Amino acid sequence: MSTEEHHPHPTPGQYWKIAGFLAAVTALEVAMFYIDRRLGLGALNSAVLLAASGIKFLVVVGWFMHVRFEKPVIARLFTAGFVLACVLYAVVLTALTAALINDA
Amino acid sequence: MSDLAHEAVVDHHEEHESTGIENRKLGMWLFLSSEFLLFGALITNYLLYSNRGGFPGPYPAELYDIPFTSVSSFVLLMSSLTMVLAHNALTRDDQPGARTWLFATAALGSVFLGGQVFEFTEFIVEFGMTLSTNPAASAFYMLTGFHGTHVAIGIIMLLSLWGISRRQGGLSEKKGLNLELVGLYWHFVDIIWIVIFTVVYLLSIPPA
Repeated sequence: MSTEEHHPHPTPGQYWKIAGFLAAVTALEVAMFYIDRRLGLGALNSAVLLAASGIKFLVVVGWFMHVRFEKPVIARLFTAGFVLACVLYAVVLTALTAALINDA
Repeated sequence: MSDLAHEAVVDHHEEHESTGIENRKLGMWLFLSSEFLLFGALITNYLLYSNRGGFPGPYPAELYDIPFTSVSSFVLLMSSLTMVLAHNALTRDDQPGARTWLFATAALGSVFLGGQVFEFTEFIVEFGMTLSTNPAASAFYMLTGFHGTHVAIGIIMLLSLWGISRRQGGLSEKKGLNLELVGLYWHFVDIIWIVIFTVVYLLSIPPA
């Protein structure tokens, strides 16, 4: 179908394994939510949940969206949009949170 | 065909693939890249207002049903698997397989969307949290509503491809690229939900 891909894509069996991994990470996230409710892990809980979410994000983008197997320009394009959004909204969030605190 | 006409066709073809990537595919990647800005704005809006007190309740974080949303998230995650299996089947020219996985993806997407409709109905009817109850509720409905709309559009595209494949007995190479593009869109909707599930549902704290 696509002529510009250089590496062989995963097999259906490998896709199932990747999906199993994603399901396991989701289960870990939900478990962390309940563990935090009991033990109050605070920042550790946030760090683990954000890391788990980041891993799932990268696995879907890399394997299911085939970014690992595409020309590098695709990864650069996609990363640029993601990084731009993260930087822009980190600035917006910081500035507006400060403004809201000052208003209160 | 004359030499000139042939050259024009060749030039036209090269113009379309000067980057080495099919233009429609490059366009889809650009579109998805720009979508980060849309969802970034909606997530930022939610983070700003999710635990800002001083408004009448209830707040979204007080109402979340985590087991229910976890199952919904799992369903959407598995729809990414069926989508990639549809794409894989098509690369092996397994047309019936591609059709089956396409339909399965649309079905799983519909289950996710049904879950979202149920959640919204419960929040509005049972708990009285409407779009205008407080800023947190507005931000929540805007974010998850926009995501749900994206899922609904994805389902329409999936079912359209499935219908074309059924009617024509399979997808041609050109239509195969359509499946790849719809697949990219569908996976994008999934990764956005991965972020929403963690940031909005699992990490939200109701106002004190």
